[in-house]
Amino acid sequence: MSNEAILTLNELVIGYGDPLSEPISLEVKPGEIIAILGPSGIGKTTLIRTIAGLVRPLSGSFDIKVERRGGLGYIPQRLGLVRHATVAHNVSLGARANIPWSRTMFQERKERTYEAIRTLGIEDKAAEPVRRLSGGQQRRVATARTLAQQPQLMLADEFLGELDQTNVDIVLGAVGELVEKGTAIVMVEHHEDNAKNFATRIWELREKKFHDMTIEEWIEYSSTGEEE
Amino acid sequence: MKLRLFGILAVLFFLAWRTLDGLVEGDWGRLEGGLSNLGVFFRESMWPPNWSVLEARSYPVCEEDIEFFCSVGYLGMMETLKIAFVSTVLGFVGAISLSSLAARNLMPMWVAVPVRIFLSAVRSLPSLIWAILFVIVIGFGPLSGVLAMTFYTIGYLGKLQYEVFEGMPNDPLEAGRAMGLSRPSILMNIVIPENGNHLLSQLMFMFEYNVRHGTVIGIVGAGGIGYYISTYLKFLQYDKVFALLILIFIVVVLIDLLSLAVRSFVNEEGDVRKPTWLNMLIQARKQD
Repeated sequence: MSNEAILTLNELVIGYGDPLSEPISLEVKPGEIIAILGPSGIGKTTLIRTIAGLVRPLSGSFDIKVERRGGLGYIPQRLGLVRHATVAHNVSLGARANIPWSRTMFQERKERTYEAIRTLGIEDKAAEPVRRLSGGQQRRVATARTLAQQPQLMLADEFLGELDQTNVDIVLGAVGELVEKGTAIVMVEHHEDNAKNFATRIWELREKKFHDMTIEEWIEYSSTGEEE
Repeated sequence: MKLRLFGILAVLFFLAWRTLDGLVEGDWGRLEGGLSNLGVFFRESMWPPNWSVLEARSYPVCEEDIEFFCSVGYLGMMETLKIAFVSTVLGFVGAISLSSLAARNLMPMWVAVPVRIFLSAVRSLPSLIWAILFVIVIGFGPLSGVLAMTFYTIGYLGKLQYEVFEGMPNDPLEAGRAMGLSRPSILMNIVIPENGNHLLSQLMFMFEYNVRHGTVIGIVGAGGIGYYISTYLKFLQYDKVFALLILIFIVVVLIDLLSLAVRSFVNEEGDVRKPTWLNMLIQARKQD
């Protein structure tokens, strides 16, 4: 696994018109799991959307060293699923994104799709339209889509949402497989326990500043904050 | 709230009435006896419908076992249905290509705006005018009808489609873009499946529309049952015209039934009842 940064933020200022943060300069390396924490409405989603290329930065720049096609995985807050299509179709979008054109393309897509579906334990729902699934199952579909994509960098916006512990374990177990292969993850998270148990680093947004900490530093930082 | 709505409707009705009064320049005497004239015309010229239009034509000689298949009604209706079918399919393919370029959430403004202007230009000519143009360019016959209806379908369906595309949720599109899916792939795998129900519904509506308007374009020589209606009108054979109008009505109702059946396959479960003989004639109702 290369130790070269897969994502580099250079004096990046995010926001829609008004800046939501001071210039951010951070790095993410392969296999790292970054949890972005902070109160609602402070700019966590805007940062994710900026890195995903959906919002223009106000100033500064960012550099993503992934394959142009399919190297970046993205699970938006509302999951981004095609509600009227089946689970298998949705998951196959991930495989479609980065399997290059070849004679075995269709077979590869199919294999990768069903492998991801099996990993997330939704094989009995494969032929059902996504709209019929529960919120938790839909989150598993979105995760399976990213798993089938096998991106080098995965961006996720509260993708654990209101999942119960069983579903959290299934989803994190699947994402863990990606991390083992070297995928870096940047995720917005509301539940500090999930961040503590899963992430390797925390970016906490407070007063327009991103504080980059290891889990130990963050635990110490939060306990000091609480004492204050 | 109900009172306010009633008030608005009353004001609108009053305005419409005043406008109409202005249009007819207060000469309401024209309506006098109109209804009785219609009654006389209907009784003496149209009733009973002349069902000879469903019998074999005297020339050319019928070689079918069943006479009906050589009748003016069957041949005209089949030609109209064929024109409507071909032009709906061709128009749908053309419209979906253009509407995906015209939707602002799928394309940048510099692409979307010119395509929208083109669609508006195509739509601004009614199918009848398109038919006249094509009859002038390539002569009488069903090909003129097909081209006229295809162009009109592209303009009309294109607008309906890009409005549906623009109304879809943004998050699947954003996920697709961030993942690196190409524009055609986003269209084929996200946009069309997400809006399949609307697209199918519009397709069926357009087919029904093209069948109805196929009767009109026949009058200017673009083929179909309209050609026969036009001929009978010229010879004042209103009873035959009435029989053909009944035939068109039956076909339109059957298409509406077919449309409900097709749409029920892709509707959200339980949202719309499966078509029954009862709701064939009334609008499909949402379940409470």
